[in-house]
Amino acid sequence: MEQLISIEFPRFSLVLPELVVLLTGFLLFSLDIVYKRINHALAISVSLVGYLLAFLLLVFSWGVEGETFYGLYKRDSFSSLMQAFMLLLTMTLLGFNYLYYKSKKSLYGEFYYILSFTLIGGMFLVSSYNLVVLYVALEAVSIAFYMLTALLRSDFNSKEGAFKYLILGGLSIALASYGAGFMYLYSGSLDLRYILTHVGENHYFLVLGLVLFLIGFAIKIGAVPFHFWLPDAYQGAPTPITAYMASFGKLAFFAPVVRLMPLVQEHFAYAWITTTAIISALTMLYGNLTALVQKDVKRLLAYSSIAHSGYILAGIAVAEVIGLKAVIYFLLAYSLMGFGSFMVLALLERVPGWENRLEQFSGMRFSAPWLALSFMVMLLALLGVPPTVGFIGKALVFMSLSFERLWWLAIVMIVATGISTGYYLRITVLMFMKEQSNSLSLSVSNVEKFLIMLLSLALVLIGAVPIILWSFVSPSAENLFMR
Amino acid sequence: MDGFPLISVSMILPLFGVFVILFTKEELSKWIAVFFSGLVFGISLVSLFFFDFSRAGKVQFEEKYVLIPELNLSLHLGFDGLSYLMYILTTLVSLVAILWSTRDHQISHRLKEYYIWFLLTETFLVGVFASLDIMVFYVFYELTLVPMFFVIGIWGYKLRLYSAYKFFIYIFVSSLFLLLGIVSLAVQHYRQFGKFSFNYFDLINNKYDLTFEVFMFLLFLIAFAVKTPIVPFHTWLPDAHGEAPTAGSVVLAAVLLKMGTYALLRFNIGLFPIASVYLMPIMVLWGIFTIVFASWFTISQSNVKRFVAYSSVSHMGFVVTGMFLLNAEGLRASITEMFAHGLTSSALFMMAGFIYNRLHSFNMQALRGSIKFMPLFAVLVAITGFSSMGLPGGSSFWGKFLTIVGAREYTLLLAFLVVVGAFFSAVYVLYLLKTLYLDTKEESRLIHFTDLRGFKLSAFLLVVIPMLMVGFLPFLFFAFYDLYINSLLNYLVSRVMGG
Repeated sequence: MEQLISIEFPRFSLVLPELVVLLTGFLLFSLDIVYKRINHALAISVSLVGYLLAFLLLVFSWGVEGETFYGLYKRDSFSSLMQAFMLLLTMTLLGFNYLYYKSKKSLYGEFYYILSFTLIGGMFLVSSYNLVVLYVALEAVSIAFYMLTALLRSDFNSKEGAFKYLILGGLSIALASYGAGFMYLYSGSLDLRYILTHVGENHYFLVLGLVLFLIGFAIKIGAVPFHFWLPDAYQGAPTPITAYMASFGKLAFFAPVVRLMPLVQEHFAYAWITTTAIISALTMLYGNLTALVQKDVKRLLAYSSIAHSGYILAGIAVAEVIGLKAVIYFLLAYSLMGFGSFMVLALLERVPGWENRLEQFSGMRFSAPWLALSFMVMLLALLGVPPTVGFIGKALVFMSLSFERLWWLAIVMIVATGISTGYYLRITVLMFMKEQSNSLSLSVSNVEKFLIMLLSLALVLIGAVPIILWSFVSPSAENLFMR
Repeated sequence: MDGFPLISVSMILPLFGVFVILFTKEELSKWIAVFFSGLVFGISLVSLFFFDFSRAGKVQFEEKYVLIPELNLSLHLGFDGLSYLMYILTTLVSLVAILWSTRDHQISHRLKEYYIWFLLTETFLVGVFASLDIMVFYVFYELTLVPMFFVIGIWGYKLRLYSAYKFFIYIFVSSLFLLLGIVSLAVQHYRQFGKFSFNYFDLINNKYDLTFEVFMFLLFLIAFAVKTPIVPFHTWLPDAHGEAPTAGSVVLAAVLLKMGTYALLRFNIGLFPIASVYLMPIMVLWGIFTIVFASWFTISQSNVKRFVAYSSVSHMGFVVTGMFLLNAEGLRASITEMFAHGLTSSALFMMAGFIYNRLHSFNMQALRGSIKFMPLFAVLVAITGFSSMGLPGGSSFWGKFLTIVGAREYTLLLAFLVVVGAFFSAVYVLYLLKTLYLDTKEESRLIHFTDLRGFKLSAFLLVVIPMLMVGFLPFLFFAFYDLYINSLLNYLVSRVMGG
């Protein structure tokens, strides 16, 4: 007789990186409790050691795949790739945070363990098909983000942004869990792989559930018309955290949607394509048009982040292998570009009197040439000028749109990119072609300088030698499709 | 020279120059740039002895570095007769532009950056003409935008920012259509052969139904019509060319426009033969329309740089007309005209820059009779002017004459229309020459003008001598591309007849 429940001993080897990050988080938490005023050098080095260890564990067990906890957790090459990027981004963030918070007089010990918990949430979010795990991980990341956003305690904007984020984030999670409920009702299972391939009686429960679930995620990724929180939260948050939300957050919140792509079935493929394509078109047009009229660069980049969600969604509309590859590539590419460009602002905000106004960028080539050059590379990458990663990402998205014969969306994307030329170029022109309005007294540590230049160099190098990233993206996409 | 990586050397040397400039003193940068571009030009001349002209229709100096095996994306470089001629034009014009800049008053600040951008342009341009992989072609095609954007925006004249924006946005947005076309071709290849490919020699095997082929043709055409430019899409050009510093205008007019016509010939006709034949009448008439209208616009200009810029548009009209006649004479005319226009337009822009340095004005009225006391300059400008006009013995003569012959192969009326175009294009050159030579002006100011000499003279001679060569020894140039034209026509016939 077949056993109904097979007893399985959890394979802890699969979740080793997560465990290390979790332990790091608890260690940081205890450190914060033990010491009244935490030593930041200690906290940073503990975090770095922990994350580096997790990263190395991930790298050395590359290619190990499998499920554990009764299928609640799945490690495959997609999740490994995403987790590796998440760890790298978090480690890079630690190179920037100290001086920024110091200049804002907001150095708090809780930053470090909240960051750890964000990371652990994100790492689980990218590696599960199970609705409950996704729900818990989504909550973990979101709650951590609310707190990180509000961490500039003396700043009104920070609190306002966090509050808006909290309200709409709560709504999104409510919708997602409501949708999950319907999907359970339809199939009697919590596993997305089972739910979507299941042929049940009441088809509408599946559609309703899926739609609500996706709207929940659409709010998180800032797709139009669910984007209202995003510019305020991005603007209000401490800038390193904005960078983190734009890069890490995108990776984390898009991952479950990406996991859905291979599961799109014949009978609702048309609905999937049409809905995603329309949302994508709205998102990129709205994001770019609104960015065009911004005077505040941080807000401008926030809208550009919305626009990039649109480009990624255009890839998601194409539920084929090529679309999946495009989406994963573009996600990783945007995580680098977005992170870098917001981080440049984080450095600049330490300059006395800096308000992120456009005209303050005038003549930056003379006062901080390396920063101007790096920022220019990042902007051109966001615009999609070859041979940067942004270009490869856009080319792949175009390729998948052409594969699906979604010509109208391709044309919309061309128009949207055309609009975006205006504001990316404007900043470039201000930095390089205008005379200097005021001198910048920029004080930057060597680590920060190195990291920014490394990031901009990486954008060009990874784009010029596309095989670097492609050799990771392509197998993981095929792997997802094979299941 | 077998096995010598000519193309990658010509691309890496300027990059190496950039590297050297970064680490030396600002005053030395111009000489480093002259040295490296001169070196590349020297290499390109030496390579003439190793280019097998009896196999000019085939790809030579081939190099291949795989970028993404799965997508058949590779840095596949090579020259056939057509691209080899364009390569020589590129190295020549880059050297001329840099030589000219060393003595240009407009280039007095931020010298390092200036020469870095020019050397980068040279690398990218060689990449454009050498790429046999269409995606890599696109990458270089777009990359040439960035240096020119900065050159116009930083060292240009009064309206430089406006022009730089306009230049970048026009070409960037139009080439996104090209990008969509390119990836669609790869997808089409996947549908027919089961694998993606961006390689030109794979893509020419693609078959399409007529509607799709015309759609693809149009996607490519949008990009190249803006770049070439053909008349309603030309409005970025007078601004960009008019406001750029002299050397920038030289490179823009002489080589960057050729990217558009080269790509029209290589990709639009090469990849979509049936659509090309189908759309041939429209394209030819459009070309003639471009010639006539651009000539009228030219005559009405009061700024001499914009005057020369518009004259470029009208010359491009000849190139497009000749190309889409799709017969041996037309294609030959078109390619000769591409090369010839590269020379004459550089010389004319240098003329404008030279006079500006003396008069501080681009106004046609201010230019009246200004050339009187500079005999050497006057002679060289006269040669350029008559070459550009298409006087027998001038470089553009063959372009215009052979276009008329090619058009006559269809109907007399078409040939007559081309003659009308040629007439108007002669009118504006004569008007320019009349203003420069025959109009009178108070002479006391002019007497102090020094004549062309030194670097500027050598830059001028570097374009005037080949101009005379094209005029009097055209067969030297026909040797580059006659075989290419033969193979292209055979291919067209086989594709059109074969279905």
